[in-house]
Amino acid sequence: MTDAIDIILTVNGRTHRLNVPPRRMLADLLRDELQLAGCKIGCDQAVCGACTVLVEGMPVTACTSFAFEFDGKAVTTTEGLAAGGVLDPVQQAFLEHGAFQCGFCTPGMILSVKALLARHPDPDVPLIRQWLNANICRCTGYQMIIDAVRAAAKAGAR
Amino acid sequence: MLHAKVLRSPHPHARIRSIETARAESLAGVFAVVTDAAALPDPYYGVAIRDQPVIAIDKVRYIGDMVAAVAAIDEETAYRALTLIDVQYHPLRAVMTIDEALAAGAPLLFEAPAGGAAVQVGEGVTSLKEPRPNVLSEFGYRNGDAEAVLAASDHVFEDRFTFSRINHFHLEPYVNVARVGGGQIELWSCNQDPFVLRNDLARIFGRSANTVRIHSSYVGGGFGGKSFCKMEPLAALLALKAGRPVRLCLSMDEGILTLTKHAGILVLKTGVMADGRLTARQSEIQLDAGAYSDVSAMTVVKTGYRITGPYRWVAVATRACAVRTNSVPAGSFRGFGGTQASFASESQIDMIARRLGIEPYEFRRKNLLAVGEPFQPGDSGMDSDLLAGLDAVVERLGYRRRAAPPAAGTKRRGMGLSIGLKDASGTNYAQALVKVLPAGRAIVNAATVEIGQGATTALCRIGAEVLGLPLEWVRYGAIDTDHTPLNNGTHVSCTTAVTGTAIERAAADARRQILEFAADRLGCSAGELTLDHWTVRRGNYTHLLEPMINDHFGAAGYEFIGRGGTRIEYDPRAPLAALNLFWIPSWVGAEVEVDYETGKVEVTQLVVGADSGTSVNAQACRGQVEGAALQAYGQSLFEELRYDGTEPVNATPLAYRVPLASDLPECYESFVVEHGGPGPFGAKGIGESGMLGVAAAIANAIEDAVGVRLTQIPLTSERVLTAIEGAR
Repeated sequence: MTDAIDIILTVNGRTHRLNVPPRRMLADLLRDELQLAGCKIGCDQAVCGACTVLVEGMPVTACTSFAFEFDGKAVTTTEGLAAGGVLDPVQQAFLEHGAFQCGFCTPGMILSVKALLARHPDPDVPLIRQWLNANICRCTGYQMIIDAVRAAAKAGAR
Repeated sequence: MLHAKVLRSPHPHARIRSIETARAESLAGVFAVVTDAAALPDPYYGVAIRDQPVIAIDKVRYIGDMVAAVAAIDEETAYRALTLIDVQYHPLRAVMTIDEALAAGAPLLFEAPAGGAAVQVGEGVTSLKEPRPNVLSEFGYRNGDAEAVLAASDHVFEDRFTFSRINHFHLEPYVNVARVGGGQIELWSCNQDPFVLRNDLARIFGRSANTVRIHSSYVGGGFGGKSFCKMEPLAALLALKAGRPVRLCLSMDEGILTLTKHAGILVLKTGVMADGRLTARQSEIQLDAGAYSDVSAMTVVKTGYRITGPYRWVAVATRACAVRTNSVPAGSFRGFGGTQASFASESQIDMIARRLGIEPYEFRRKNLLAVGEPFQPGDSGMDSDLLAGLDAVVERLGYRRRAAPPAAGTKRRGMGLSIGLKDASGTNYAQALVKVLPAGRAIVNAATVEIGQGATTALCRIGAEVLGLPLEWVRYGAIDTDHTPLNNGTHVSCTTAVTGTAIERAAADARRQILEFAADRLGCSAGELTLDHWTVRRGNYTHLLEPMINDHFGAAGYEFIGRGGTRIEYDPRAPLAALNLFWIPSWVGAEVEVDYETGKVEVTQLVVGADSGTSVNAQACRGQVEGAALQAYGQSLFEELRYDGTEPVNATPLAYRVPLASDLPECYESFVVEHGGPGPFGAKGIGESGMLGVAAAIANAIEDAVGVRLTQIPLTSERVLTAIEGAR
């Protein structure tokens, strides 16, 4: 057994000092140790995007990323979006536009949209589609998700 | 809690000579290794016909078949233990296609008859279990003398269609947690049929149903993949042997090897008079059932019954069979045989129209079932205005305005129409319970599983409406077979109409009790009172219920518990042994741009319409239609689980391609018509509709654009180009 590694990880604004085995995936760390089950493991191969979290604002597939890579970094999961019981504007837009059905892709999808809007506050449809390609939704047919993203952008969501 | 992993067969067909598990069992952290289900009281599962062992007995029948399973302290240890299991196989010749399986002298998947029985059917229908070697089941339907009517028809056309195999690709994997102890088997399951599963577990383990308890949670998508019994008994068997709770979570690769949609070959012989009237259709359908029954026996019945589409016939003769092959078992997939039938039927209708020089829209219009006309003798009448729906597609697509300006360069545009149709199945039953708690907060209880379809919202809305309560006061109760009333599963787009009716009745029963209580307190008759926002109104006076309840029952309060149920009765005069509850049409129009030098097909417009009866939740209805249509769209153009010889070549999420956001047609439009239906407030079911008509509409548009016909999906560039070159 290789020795575990000490890391400092800021998750949703809270700093954790952790001792992680080198093979520990970020998704397993978030789910099993920090109880942040909003990070979903679908394909476990960085294809479906359900496990997407933000690291320093950039989307990362947590299922295929080693936790130790993120020493000193700030991670945002879906649990970190709503503040004081008020949904994030992107979450609110998803809710209003019926942009999810089973909800399994939704946390990752919304975090990808957060990253998109941070870079492109007013994306056109082709750009939205291009960004959403990182996240598979098998339920909705995507159109209502695209509607939600456009509405969130219009409402000034970042 | 332990974690389980499954060792799977690398052979498509082999006899198991030996399995050595001692090394795996002695690995630290391993608590149970199971092989060979033969010792179980009844080791097989499957719907109607039961042939799939909980874990391989003597033989393996496809690459991916479950041979052994390990429960260990963590997944890593379980995986390591699998590598220590030594299985010796004696490989057998495999049959990978329908033709191979049916060839004379083909090796048999099963040497002895399976358990169970043929699917129950009604008038004019035959249903056979294992009628011939490698044939799991056969459905036959006759109405009139199709041979004679075809002989007397002005034209008879015979065409053959090939349908592809796809995976459900639900993002949440198959996951179950089992605990065995205290005289009971308890399961927390992603399965969408808790009571079906309870019965299967009770039978397999030789227990009474009241010692099996299923908890259902919110399910992360299924599309049919999570219906009926699969690996759940294996989780229970591991928990039983380990004496500890066991979690069995399959990887997505394993999920792809667990179930597929039925591939198939459909040969349709259709007669038509010179004036364009359809006369008779004779169909021969073979579905690839894969290695095990699952629900194939039922799927062939449905495919066979639906093959005549939304048209009027003088005579019909259909034979449909499920053929066993050494490939992934096929089972439920949104549309359940309706997609296969609609693709073949609506393609051929279009082909015939074009051959006869009749406008495809006009040809359909001439032959469509009118409202009230029975689908087949003895079945219920068409409850949807099929022509109005088609007209709506024509209008939205701009079908009549297509003067077809020649597209620039090597591209040609074309448009195609299609009307998919399926029934909402036969015997459906549901019971429900509605509890009204203090302060008018309510819990509705039913066994329909929330799988993303919006069942909880729809069912709560029905309860809220009947009780006069705000929607936010009503919650859907957690499903637990010890407490939740029974239904036959989350199926056939029937939640709103069937389980919804049970809830409507249960809520009405609770409302009656509340009003009778209030009437008693107020000294009037219940008929004078109405219930609204947890108050009762009598004429111009409003009375608060809460003080009346507190006054009468004291601090403990009271729960009004209403019960309701519904059942579609057995009717032997109906072909499927019950009158179809409602019809599920799917109106589709597609516009394509085909590059005749590369064969590339781009769908520039897709219009999909469905009939919700009355939408209980309009936004959710739109989501169902668009989501289903995009699944069908992927299957039409590129998505397919492919085999190369005996090997599945893309059974991994990296290689298996499903539609992404950028695959959406440039212009994608859906609509829902509301003609009323038999469910609460006039609701029908809509969940599968979008699946049905898409493939044919695109194939029809391709012929419209470049004059070639593809009778096999997916409609890949290679196939289009080959067809174009063949026509030159």
